[in-house]
Amino acid sequence: MVSLFHMDASLAAVIVALLPPLAAFGIVMLATRPLPRLSAAISLGAAGLSLLAAVYLLWRHLGMQTPIIFQMTWLHPGTLQIPFGFLLDPTSLVMLTVVSSISFLVQVYSLGYMAGDPGFSRYFGCMSLFSWAMLTLCLSSSLIQIFIFWELVGLASYLLIGFWFEKFSASEAGKKAFVMTRLGDVAFLLGLVLIWLQMGSLDITNLNTPAVVTAYCSPSMITLTGLLIFGGIVGKSAQFPLMTWLPDAMEGPTPVSALLHSATMVAAGVYLFARLFGYFSLSPTLMTICLAIGTISMLLASTMAMVARDIKQVWAYSTISQLGFMLMGLGAGSFFAGVFHLVTHAGFKALLFLSAGVFIHHFDSNDMETIGRRGGRKLKSAMICMIVAAGALSGLPPLSGFFSKELILGRLLELDNPLWFLAGAAGAFLTAYYTFRLVCFIAFPKTIETTGTDAGSHGNHGSIGPLAMNGVLWILAGATAALGFIQEPILAFIKPALGAELSGSIGHHGWLPVAACLLAALAIGLAWFEFGRKRCRQIGFVERMPVLAKLFRERWYLDRCYRLMLDQLVYKGISGLFTWNDRKVIDGAVDGFGGAAVRLGGLIARLHTTMVQYRLMVMALVVVLLILTFGLGG
Amino acid sequence: MIVPFHHVVLLSSMLFFMGLFCTLARKNLIMILLGVEIMLNAGALAFVGAALRWQQIEGQAIVLFVLAVAATEVSVGLALIVSIYRRTGSVDPEVQLAAVEEGTP
Repeated sequence: MVSLFHMDASLAAVIVALLPPLAAFGIVMLATRPLPRLSAAISLGAAGLSLLAAVYLLWRHLGMQTPIIFQMTWLHPGTLQIPFGFLLDPTSLVMLTVVSSISFLVQVYSLGYMAGDPGFSRYFGCMSLFSWAMLTLCLSSSLIQIFIFWELVGLASYLLIGFWFEKFSASEAGKKAFVMTRLGDVAFLLGLVLIWLQMGSLDITNLNTPAVVTAYCSPSMITLTGLLIFGGIVGKSAQFPLMTWLPDAMEGPTPVSALLHSATMVAAGVYLFARLFGYFSLSPTLMTICLAIGTISMLLASTMAMVARDIKQVWAYSTISQLGFMLMGLGAGSFFAGVFHLVTHAGFKALLFLSAGVFIHHFDSNDMETIGRRGGRKLKSAMICMIVAAGALSGLPPLSGFFSKELILGRLLELDNPLWFLAGAAGAFLTAYYTFRLVCFIAFPKTIETTGTDAGSHGNHGSIGPLAMNGVLWILAGATAALGFIQEPILAFIKPALGAELSGSIGHHGWLPVAACLLAALAIGLAWFEFGRKRCRQIGFVERMPVLAKLFRERWYLDRCYRLMLDQLVYKGISGLFTWNDRKVIDGAVDGFGGAAVRLGGLIARLHTTMVQYRLMVMALVVVLLILTFGLGG
Repeated sequence: MIVPFHHVVLLSSMLFFMGLFCTLARKNLIMILLGVEIMLNAGALAFVGAALRWQQIEGQAIVLFVLAVAATEVSVGLALIVSIYRRTGSVDPEVQLAAVEEGTP
């Protein structure tokens, strides 16, 4: 590893991309909290700067053949060396651009959405922290640095999910997100320590070089460490079985959900998988497990989304299922399919959340039927943008989701076991179904309320707010429509850095796109038949089966299981033991000392107040003892 | 000296401890006073024995003083006990204590 830290344009651009958000966080939190407009301007300026720098980096290194590493030693305790640096390769550059553009757009949107909120400055400060942590994570050159920023991303999302902390459910949701991702992070940290013990280095480039890894680690060790790191990914990307924090994280402001679901928090997990793709692909067992976890998460989350009524929760479930889909693509061995779906998903999921935010902001309700009844379809631009994004999510051509889904499905088709492909196709079908179920609810309401449709939730419709919100929506809709057509340039950009064996062959089956389209069209037709047409009762086929509907609505009883485990194991078992120890042993000992002192004092006090005979007795005893001591002892 | 010195010391210490026991254990002021007297006399006996052992007259002289002090002490003590008995109708020290604690001696 060449350790270069001389100043050149790329390094300067990296610093310009990373430093302003951190500086904005510091300035906003410390100095400008009472001045909301100034705080927003600082934060937006920082996000804009880092976006410009990211685009410049991408443009400058377009067509790069070898990754560039800037690295220096940060700490060296003893003989160890802990480096801090930046790794610029096609994957990280693409991710950097995606993250910085989404966070910039979301912040612009927030100008409208958060207007008038008492915590306006704090909100923008936390957003800056969030994007700074994620941007640095993207460019990290070693796993230990990724871990640090991984935790910072977790912290920022905790702050933002619990942003309205006066609400009990919001602070609970923040805690839940923090603790559940922490469960995975423990595994991640253990995996890091194991790799470090084996290899003495956590450089990503080292870990992705098969010759280096196999020289130090046995195959079973690779599987074990990979599984531990995958535990971290499961927590962060809300996969089975640590998935239930994500729907609850909807308590945060909607733009936060948009950022968290598209480019930062949950994407970090998949991004880490892509980062260590070379390492993971050394162990076929591990890849199969990832494939299985991705499949299970995708199917479970799709079924949950089929019965949810809360508009944001539907999108949250769809995030889980799309992340599962990405993991399926990666686990099936196609690096490009997974990363490309990550990029397109970032665009259309942000769009979905932001357009949902417009509805929620306008009607002050999360319930999709209420929004439809109050005239959701009258908000033309939000409606059109949501349909565009929903089409992309369902995989309709020519939107971006169509291309990336087709890549993953094509890859799954090449596996020996047809089960994976069937599961993937079923997931795609369900996705299209629940997406257009929501769209039909809003677009074809059965009854229409006319009163009070114009009452804004926050009563604050300044001139800039709606303009910013709609502008962002249209930009993202444009990106969603266009992103699919630059698949070939992105592939050409990413491929050389990987080597042919890692990028995974991407099959071209002539019939697959047609079949995928038909499948999506079928699902949309079903959704329209059940929820959209004139005389339908808006009851899905799942809701006709009460047992199934209850199972899905209770999230497959996952939360109940956790609650039970928490109650039995943690509260009754571990904390019961500690409570007993505290009450009986520690309190008992302290009380015992106190009580003994009091009782002894009482005894001595009695000697002074009662009969002279007792005093005499003590005196005689002492004299006898003295005689014995000095007479016999010497 | 016909009686060996350590017999005298043994006897006087036995007497002393019997007197001590009497002083500590009895619930009667007269018996407590008696115990004190016995202890005094045990001491006096040891003095006499020691005077014989070292052939010095001072020991025997001291015993005369002890006897005189003991006699006065007994007379004063008995007078006090009689007075207490007249006041409270009892010679039990615990009753005296209770009376003191109640504030009506």
